[in-house]
Parts: sequence; structure tokens; C-alpha cells
Amino acid sequence: MNGFLIYAGKRFLQFLFVVITGITLAFLIAHFSPVDPVEQTVSLLTSFGSTDPQAVEILRQSLRELYGTGGPLLDQYFTFWGRVLTGDFGPSLSSFPTPVMTVIGRALPWTVGLLTLATIIAWIIGNLLGALAGYFRNSRLLKLAGIVIMALQPIPTYIIGLSLVILFGFIWPILPISDGAQVNLAPAFNWAFISSVIEHGILPALTLVLVGIGGWFISMRSLVSNIVTDDHVIYAELGGVRSSRIFSHYVARNAMLPQVTGLALSLGNVFGGAVIVEFVFNYPGIGKLLISGIYSGDYSLVLGVTTIAIIAVASAVFVIDIIYPLIDPRVKLG
Amino acid sequence: MKFPRFAVIALLSLAALPAYAQDFIAGIPRNETLIIQGTPQQNADWFNVWAPGGGGAANVNGLQQLTTDTLWFINPEGGPDAWQNALATEPPAYNADFTQMTVKLRNGIYWSDGVEFTSDDVVYTVKTQIDHPGMSWSAPFTVNVASVENPDPQTVVFHLKKPNSRFHTLFTVRWNAAWIMPKHVFEKAGDPLSFKNNPPVSLGAYVLQSYDKGGNWTIWKLRDDWQRTSIGMAAKEPPQVKYVVYRAAGNPEARVIEQRNHNLDVINDMAPEGMFAMMRDSKSVASWLKGFPFAHPDPTLPSVLLNTKKAPFDNKDVRWALALMIDIRAVALGSYRGAANLAALATPPTGSAPDDYYAPMQDWLTNFELDTGSRKIKPYDPNISAQIATMVRGQWGDQIPTDPKQLQRTFGFGWWKQDVQAAGELLQKAGFKKSGKQWLKPDGTPFTIRLQVEGDAIPTLARAGTVIAQQWSQNGIATKVDVAGPTNGQRLSTGDYEAAIYWSIETWGGHPDLSFFLDSYHSEFIKPLGQIQPPRNLQRWQDPRLDQIIAKNRSIAFDSPDVTKVGQDFLKLAVEEMPMIPLMAYNKFAPFDTTYWTNYPSAENPYSASGPNWSNIRYMVVGLKANPDAPKN
Repeated sequence: MNGFLIYAGKRFLQFLFVVITGITLAFLIAHFSPVDPVEQTVSLLTSFGSTDPQAVEILRQSLRELYGTGGPLLDQYFTFWGRVLTGDFGPSLSSFPTPVMTVIGRALPWTVGLLTLATIIAWIIGNLLGALAGYFRNSRLLKLAGIVIMALQPIPTYIIGLSLVILFGFIWPILPISDGAQVNLAPAFNWAFISSVIEHGILPALTLVLVGIGGWFISMRSLVSNIVTDDHVIYAELGGVRSSRIFSHYVARNAMLPQVTGLALSLGNVFGGAVIVEFVFNYPGIGKLLISGIYSGDYSLVLGVTTIAIIAVASAVFVIDIIYPLIDPRVKLG
Repeated sequence: MKFPRFAVIALLSLAALPAYAQDFIAGIPRNETLIIQGTPQQNADWFNVWAPGGGGAANVNGLQQLTTDTLWFINPEGGPDAWQNALATEPPAYNADFTQMTVKLRNGIYWSDGVEFTSDDVVYTVKTQIDHPGMSWSAPFTVNVASVENPDPQTVVFHLKKPNSRFHTLFTVRWNAAWIMPKHVFEKAGDPLSFKNNPPVSLGAYVLQSYDKGGNWTIWKLRDDWQRTSIGMAAKEPPQVKYVVYRAAGNPEARVIEQRNHNLDVINDMAPEGMFAMMRDSKSVASWLKGFPFAHPDPTLPSVLLNTKKAPFDNKDVRWALALMIDIRAVALGSYRGAANLAALATPPTGSAPDDYYAPMQDWLTNFELDTGSRKIKPYDPNISAQIATMVRGQWGDQIPTDPKQLQRTFGFGWWKQDVQAAGELLQKAGFKKSGKQWLKPDGTPFTIRLQVEGDAIPTLARAGTVIAQQWSQNGIATKVDVAGPTNGQRLSTGDYEAAIYWSIETWGGHPDLSFFLDSYHSEFIKPLGQIQPPRNLQRWQDPRLDQIIAKNRSIAFDSPDVTKVGQDFLKLAVEEMPMIPLMAYNKFAPFDTTYWTNYPSAENPYSASGPNWSNIRYMVVGLKANPDAPKN
């Protein structure tokens, strides 16, 4: 037990180090961005109207005070940490004065729902096919599946998404290609809304699944290919154990451990959003928010999104580290 | 080992995802609904257009376009009725020295909650914004207004801090203007900067029906008492559009598909290729120009901006040399596939400008002489647009007009001939030398240029930059295209560029007065490099003759016949000095779907602006006619 506590303590310190370093880097990158949120707002307010240069200067000064973007960087850094610890990232500068957490709170459920579902589906299909392809090495059908998956693997997400848009939105227009749900449908726990969300999520989810399957398939197939030559598997085959049982109990289970780790890390990444997919399908999630925050110099928003993503990934790694000794006896404590 | 067949069936069943089509919009009839492209709203709950979070271009959800109102509008497309009295009954009345402006307001205008609009609202708007720095029009009111009073419910008198013959333009909509606040709402709201104003009371013909908290759509409904609004009073017939949906429709490809599926009636902007494909393939699409190039010219002037505070761009001979190295035909073909509306003058060739400036100045342009140091040349070619028309006629046939006047309106009036020899003479006059194929600056170092473009946000202008960079490079000035992306605006305003493809000139469109941009060109506003230059003199052009022209324009009334003469003086000076090289109008490709609605504005019937983010679009919305052949709901 003492050994486990020391191990957990070390891992926790590692977790803290990763979070502090990650958030500090995010803070510095955001603040050294050449895009100034005040100038972005000034530009928005003056780009189409008749502008009096004196008035523009007054507007600029007013916005600097309102946004609180002045002051030494170190002061801003400590203020920022104070906010992080209370879960408050201040006002979004591009949606002033709406709090960052309100803006993120609206987008987060869409992203988490879409990415969690797509990640789990891709994980199940990729691992199942990968395990089958590694075990039934002579199956033509599985070889064909492998070829298709390997062919999809290098295609950029944007191209896959756009292809699906053209296929199911234009050539065979049976699925919505934009938004998270039907226009003018109030969110409610009823079938009309739920079915609309499912329908609108099919193409973005399918894009993520097609993009995500490849990695799981390849890693699982190579894991299984190694395990099938292990002594215990050969011994079971010689002992006349049914191949379906060998596949499920002797091979797949042993190969699953690193894949479970991978799944946990992927689920941690859910909070970072799926920028490209959300852009292609105009999906109202975190990824799209992040992009607009970067473009508008809204570093409060960028920091809010990245901080949540950093904490989520670091937490996922920490949890995996903690539960690993309980499920894998090869991990040494201390 | 055999792969079990049941597994194949199981896998295939996973792929069989359920799909069934729903109506595009829930709960409202499609044939009473106009769907317009909007932008995603990060703060969808926010309907306060007077605070930074709800102002400016960020808010393309119908709020500014359908519910706000102010004193006057100018139709950027020009036409006989370009000036519109909105909340005011007549144009502004100034005293002799432009230190006082009196406004007469309409009777019988009501906010959507039944409260009457009066001069109290106007006075409250001005005073509240002066008291709250950071509100959208706080700064210009602070600079200009000494006091404001309302002797009766229909009269407002502004006392100005200094003479300003253009003060009324703060309340005159071209794209937007100072919108009048509902006093009865805001006076109970506390801090006007943090008040959401949700739901907004409307002074326009439409009110908020519902909105997506995720920010993808906002729906507006025609007011029952739409007649009690300024636009209702101006309407010749009852509005037929009952609902307006502003929706963010995703990337450009998705927008095209959405329109072809009749889920998006009005698109804001797309690539020329997409527009040409739509016009070729779809029977239900309408456009501003009936034939090629189908585009709508914005009153904005894409140019090659030259940073006049950086050598050698401070030398007008160098600037002219760069202009003469450009083959505008290749730029038009490379950027817009030939669909460019050329501009040799420093004003966009749109709205009333062709009649006010381009046509009257053709003789002056044709006879304009340039001293290259070796000889005098007449660089203007009035037939260059016709040459571009000939180039694209093979592809578009009868779509290309043959009438010279129509050609001028479609492709522009003319531009500078490419004259590399004259360009070389001008560079030599400026002390440059040629070493092999490379031009050397007077100090002996190679003359190279960083040509900044924004990038994907405006692909046509990025392409124009690439073509111009190629031409300069071919003629001995090694030019690199520098894609600035989201830093473009800041780099331009701090002067961190040498040359850039962007615009520093926008006009009213429907009025000859150039003060819209010209006033900010005065030398009193020039900042040193590194400091932020106020909009719009991004090239930091400074000239005592320019200051005189601006002073003259300030001293005459907005509607004075002298305005055009002063404008022409400015345009002549800009040709002589070439502080920026005007290229073309900002042609936008914005198709309309006529499946449900007809009578969209066009070059033949320019009764309104049609850009989704332009506040003038309200006149289009109430002017549309239901298509009798529309699918029944």
C-alpha cells in the first residue's frame, strides 16, 4: 500500500507539472499572438462606418480599460492563475462582456457528445477489425477491409468531410450538412429534438470515425499478430480449444490493454474539439470556437479552451497511470 | 482460420445508419420565410448592438439589419432615391457655420412593445453613449457634441463643439450608423455595457421570434404593426416576407449546396468559380448582373497600397513605375477570371461614381501626361476593359455586352497601359540602376518587395497579389507574396508592410461626397510607423494639396454641387501622386435563390443593398415578392 501511495504521489506531481507547464505555455503563446483583441474590435466597429480618427483613439483607450488588456505580463499571468483556480476566465473579448465559461459551456456539450460517440465507435470498429485481421490473416474480406482502411488513413480530414458533404448533401441529399440540429427546434428531451441531433451528427461523426479507425486498426492488428505466435496461444490451438474462444480469451483480451490506454487518452482529447470537422459541418462545438477565438485575438477564450483541454488530457493520463498497476501486474510500483 | 460470416453481417449492420429527411425549418412555413446567410454568434443571448459585444460586423444575425433604425439611409447602390429619410422627415438642417444641426422626426413611429418613439430616445442615445465610454458610438459623440436638446417630441437640436458639416453622417446608414436606443428599456437596465437587451424591442419591421443558443441561427418575425415603422411607412405594398432566418451555413462549398437544396436564399460571398457554376447549372438562381460576371460591386476599392513612409515608396516615380509594370488584364483574369470592374481612379466605380466621376473624367484621364524623365507619355488606355471583354467572350458568348456603355459598367472604364520601358525610365529618374535583370536601389542594394495579402479570407485579392508579384518579379523587382492571415489588419495599421493588396477607400456608393474616407486622410492624423494609423489612410499619404482639398470639402455642405468638383480635385491628385494603385471594385459573388422569392435587387433595379451584413438589406427584405410557383408547404 505504501508503495502504491508513493507511486500515486509521484504521478500526481507529474500531473501538476504537466498542467502548470502546459497552461503557462498556452498563456505565453496567446499573449504573444500578433492579433490584438482591442484592435480587432476597433477594426470591426470602424471598418464599415465613417471614422473620425480622434474618435477611434478614444474608442481604443476605452476598450483597453474595459478589456483589461493593459498592465505588465507578470501581473496578468498571476491574475490569470487566480482565475483558473476559481474556474473563471473572465469575459470573452470577442463577445464582451459574456463570460468565457458561458461561451464554452454552450459549445462543450456538442463537442463532447460528438467526439465521445465518434471516438468510441471508431475504437470499437477499429479494434474489432484489427483484431480479426490479425487473427484471421488469410481472410480475403478482412484483407480488403484492411486495404480500404489503410487507403483512408492518409486522406486529410477536410477532404473526407467535404466528400461526405458532396455525397450526402448534394448528389444524394438525404442528410443535413450543417448545424447541430434542425433550425427552430427548441432543445428538449423529446424524440423530435434527439432524432434531429442524431441526424445532424451522422456526417460529422462518420468523418471522425473514418479518420479515426485507421490508427486503432493498424495498432490492434500488429498487437494481435505478435500475440498469435505466443506459446500460450499455440498451446491452446494444439489443445483443440475453439478458435473463437482463442480469439476472444487468449488473443484479443491480451491485446486490449494498450488500446484501453489509447481510448482514455483519446477521450481526454475530446475537450480540445475537432476543429476541422466542426468547421466543415458548421457544428456548434469547441473546435469552431477555438478557431474564431484565435482569429479574433480573443485570448481569454483561447486560454479557456486550451486550459480545459490540457487539464482533461493530463487528468486522463493521471487516471490511467493510477489504475494501471491494478490491471497490469507487470507495472512496478515505487 | 475462417472468418465467421455472421461477423460480416454484424459489421454491415453497423454501417447501416438510420437516415430520414426532416423539414428544414421546424414550425414556420418555408414559403413565408426568407433565409439569409449569417455568421455564427458566440454570444447568441446578446442583443445589445450598442456595446462592443454586439456591435460591428460580428453581429450578422439580423439584429442590426431588421430591428434597428436611425435618422437617414443612403442606398450604396445609388439610384434616384439614394437618400432615404428614415426616422427623420427631412435632411439635416445646419446653421451657417455648421456648429448646430436640427433634426425633425417622424410622427407615429412606435417601438415593438407599443411605446412611441420620440426625440427623448435620440437625446438619451447621445447622452448615454457619451457617459459610457466603450459603447459603439460613444467616441464620435464625445468628440463632436457639446450639448443636445429636444424642444418638442419631434425636434432634436445638436450643438457641436466645432464646425462639422458631416456630423449627420453619424446617423446616416451606409453599412451601419448610430442606432437609436429605446430609452424606456435602457434607463431601467443598469449598466448599458453589460445589458443583454434580450429580447430586443424593435424599431424596425421585424421582431425576434427565436434563436439558437449555439449561435447558428436567429429567426425574426414581421411585426403586426409594421406600418408604425419608418420602413413600413416607406413601403409601397405590405411586406410579403413573414419570417427572416439568418443562419450560419458553414464553409463556401456547403453554402453553395445549401442554396441548391433551397435552404439558403441569399448568400453573402463565394468564389467566382462557384458563382459561374451556379449560374450555368441552376435555373432558380438570380444575380445582381444578369450576365457575366454576375457580380455585385461593393463600394470598396481593392488597391495596391504602398507604404509612403518607407523608402523607396515615398517616391512617386517609383510608385508610378510599379503601376506601369502591371498588366491589369492578367490581374483581372487571374483574380476574377475576367470578372473584374477596373478602377483607375481612387474611388470605387460603383453606385453613382460612374456618373459623378468616371464618365466626366475620361477626357482628363486620356489626356493625362506623365513625365518619365526621358519623355512624356499618356499612360491611360480607355479601351482596356473592352480588351478583357473580348478575352472572356469566347467562354461566355452573348452574356458579354457589346454596347460600350454597358461594357464600361460591367468591366470598368479603362486603366493604365502596361509600359515596362516607361517604368524603367521612371526608376532611372528616381536614381535606380539595372544590373542584369535586377533593379538596384540608389544605394546599390537590390530592389525587392514584400507584397502583403490577407489570404484565404479574400481569395480573389490574394490571387491578384500573386499575379502582380509575378509581373514585378519578371520586370526586375523580386517580389514575394506575404500572406498575413488574421494579422493583416494590424500589420496594415501599424505600417508593418511595404506593399499590400487591400483597400483604404470606401465610399457612400449612392452619394458623390468622398468624406466617408477622405476626412481621415488629413495630415493631422498621420502617425509614425509602428504606431497605429487611424482608418483609412493606411498608406500614410501626406500632401499639403491633399489637406487643402479636405479643408475645402469640410467647408461645404454635404449636398453642395461643389462636392463633386472637390472630389474630382482629389481624384486628379491621387492619379498624379499614385499613393496607392487602385485596381478594381470589390466584386462580390452573391447569388439569390428565386424558388421562394423574386424581385431581388439588381443592376437594372438597384432599389436596395443586398449584402446580408448591410443594414440597407432591410429595404430588400420588405421589397421581395413571393414566387407563385414556390413549392407549397
